[in-house]
Amino acid sequence: MRILLDNFTKKFDDVMVINNMNLEVRDGEMMALLGPSGCGKSTTLFSICEIYQCNGGRILFGDRDVSNVTSQHRNVGVVFQNYALYPHMSIFDNIAFPLMVKKMPAEQIKKEVHKIAELVHIGDLLERKPSQLSGGQQQRVALSRALVRKPDVLLLDEPLANLDAKLRLEMRSEIRRIQQETGITAVLVTHDQVEAMSMCDRIALMDHGKILQVTTPNDMYHNPQTDFVAGFLGNPPIAFLDGVITNGQIQLKDSAIQLPLPSRVPVQPDGKIVRLGVRPEYFGNQAGIELQGQVSFVETQGRENLYDIRLGNGAVLRSIQPVRADAGLGDSVSWPLDTEQILIFDDQGQRVA
Amino acid sequence: MRQRIGLLGLGFMTPALVMVLVFFLIPVVMTAVFGFTNMGTATGISGGEYLLTPKIVKQLEIRGEFDKQSLTALSSNRYQVTEAGLAKAASDGLKSAYIQGLRDSLLGREYSSKRDFERALKKIKDRPRKVRALKKSAEYFSQSILNRRYLTDHEFKTALAATGVQLSATEFDQVLSASYTGWIWTTDNFTNMFSKPDTWVVAFNTLVYVLLVLAFNIGFGLFLALTTFYLPSGQSAFFRAVWLLPRISPPVLYVLLWKWLTWDTGFISTVLGWFGVPAFNYMLGSVGSAWAVVVLINGFVGASLGMILFSSAIQAIPKSILYASEVDGANRWQQVRYIILPQLRWPILFTTSYTTLSLLTSFEYILLSTEGGPGNTTNVWALEAYFTALNNYAGNLKYGYGAAMALVLVTLGVLVSLLYLRLFKFDELVARPKIEN
Repeated sequence: MRILLDNFTKKFDDVMVINNMNLEVRDGEMMALLGPSGCGKSTTLFSICEIYQCNGGRILFGDRDVSNVTSQHRNVGVVFQNYALYPHMSIFDNIAFPLMVKKMPAEQIKKEVHKIAELVHIGDLLERKPSQLSGGQQQRVALSRALVRKPDVLLLDEPLANLDAKLRLEMRSEIRRIQQETGITAVLVTHDQVEAMSMCDRIALMDHGKILQVTTPNDMYHNPQTDFVAGFLGNPPIAFLDGVITNGQIQLKDSAIQLPLPSRVPVQPDGKIVRLGVRPEYFGNQAGIELQGQVSFVETQGRENLYDIRLGNGAVLRSIQPVRADAGLGDSVSWPLDTEQILIFDDQGQRVA
Repeated sequence: MRQRIGLLGLGFMTPALVMVLVFFLIPVVMTAVFGFTNMGTATGISGGEYLLTPKIVKQLEIRGEFDKQSLTALSSNRYQVTEAGLAKAASDGLKSAYIQGLRDSLLGREYSSKRDFERALKKIKDRPRKVRALKKSAEYFSQSILNRRYLTDHEFKTALAATGVQLSATEFDQVLSASYTGWIWTTDNFTNMFSKPDTWVVAFNTLVYVLLVLAFNIGFGLFLALTTFYLPSGQSAFFRAVWLLPRISPPVLYVLLWKWLTWDTGFISTVLGWFGVPAFNYMLGSVGSAWAVVVLINGFVGASLGMILFSSAIQAIPKSILYASEVDGANRWQQVRYIILPQLRWPILFTTSYTTLSLLTSFEYILLSTEGGPGNTTNVWALEAYFTALNNYAGNLKYGYGAAMALVLVTLGVLVSLLYLRLFKFDELVARPKIEN
């Protein structure tokens, strides 16, 4: 069922956290709310399930306005960061709880719980207590409990944050599998761009209570609307260079280097200040304009190495490329920059092209 | 090195050990010791003397094990002028001429009645002029064992033998023990206690008192904790402060307010009087209302402890678990029933055990309000022990009997705590929490 936030506003006392947010999560879609700490993504999530009451605007599930419906009656499933399992109940009772409070007959509860436990692969854990489960298993239980009463929407609040790296990888695909098998509309809150990109159909990137861009992971990576979005997505992160348009070319700040504008970019007025975004995979690999610099940092990642190259004007470019022996710390190198792939932003951080 | 650390540790612990010994262990031990004596106002707490009174002779007679003649002989009064009596009289400052006269004419003579002896005295020259002084001087030569204090049992035995009354060995011992005024070791306290019907009345009262007040404390404490939990924080802080007032107000003033509220000229009677209800003393007017007042007085004081403990325990439940139960569709009641109450198990059990133990021994609010009345209907064990041992109208304080009552209470307390420990699996409850949040 689709979720629509229509001019949604949330204040805590006098502190405005979210002001007039508009967002639509389509039916059956998994949407990531991605952003740094304190950007309002969890606030938005908790307002969708009415743990927080919204102070303005409307929240719609399908075509139904649920702004004034209490959390008990919104029919949402929520997975909390710490799973929030009931420590005194068995796993079966934990999963059965949403059905039990609805006074569903015991026979039917049993059937439903076993069905969902099979889907989530915890059928053999039902007799245990939460304290006897590993983090990944607790996560699965929390997911079962959220899904067992067939909610209209599934909300996940940093569901992978408490897992170790290996489990995180496993649960990432598991959550996505379960979401796709059930076809439920889901909202995932995360600060981890890898989670957002790998699990979700679309990403809403937030900062300071505002949505900066909503699009597919692929599009957001290649066509960021602002330098913040470009900087938030991608690992290793994008590098920025300051420059100014001179004679239809880009003159790097405090440097003699001039770079051509990418061919897709329309003509820019002379004297316009720009920021160039260069992703590490486009520097040091393909053919392009050679840039001189000094290796100031090397990070080994196994198959690839990450290099920081300090240019003559002090700016730093990042490069990721297969391990090579000819570039060590402090060496002078001359590597090609693929100017066609440069992202260009204006001095306000808005994408020019 | 090891040795020195051990001694250092012991040194640091010594004050605590001494405290435990002096303030915890010794009182219990002393209670147990006193419980097996018949100490009281009559016996004192130091040693006693031997004093045979006509009353004791009568009691011995009632027992019927004595030869009547020997008893009569024991209580008869014989007079004989002896050197010892003369010396005593001289040291008390009687005129030496009178003493000399007695020695010359009466030394060695025996008289079987006071009247005869006094008649003989009147014939002595230099006798005291006043009749009263004369009668008093006769007492120096009384050979009766009655109404005389003997400091040691040796003195008493000698005196008893000197009377010349023929007593069997058992009779002799019976007179000895009946005449002793000090305290003795005995288990009579316990046999008396369990044979007195009043004891069982008080025991039943105690049971009723503990159960009712306990139920009120826990139930009302829980109610307050839950209701204040769901209130906005400012209001809940206000209500918690209000409910703490009974606990922090001085008990005497607090009970005085209750008296003012419940007396037949008090608030309740006055207000009800406007509607034509006759004035009534709710504190002492009837058994039912007296119990209601006792339970409420104690209950409102005790409920604040439960409220604070339960409130903090509710606050300690992770917010996300409460949120989870809400989005899972649980209404307030279901949230309380299935999520909050199960997690309050430990504080509820703690408060129950703690309150039971403190109620068993508490009597101060009853003492201040009903004093166990009307009649004996709200008298509880601890109050009865207090009255018996420390404060009663007759003034005959029975320390030994009171201590025996207290010992029963201590034993009961230990048993109840052991029961609670077993029943509630204390060691599991105080184990480390299994889920980190």
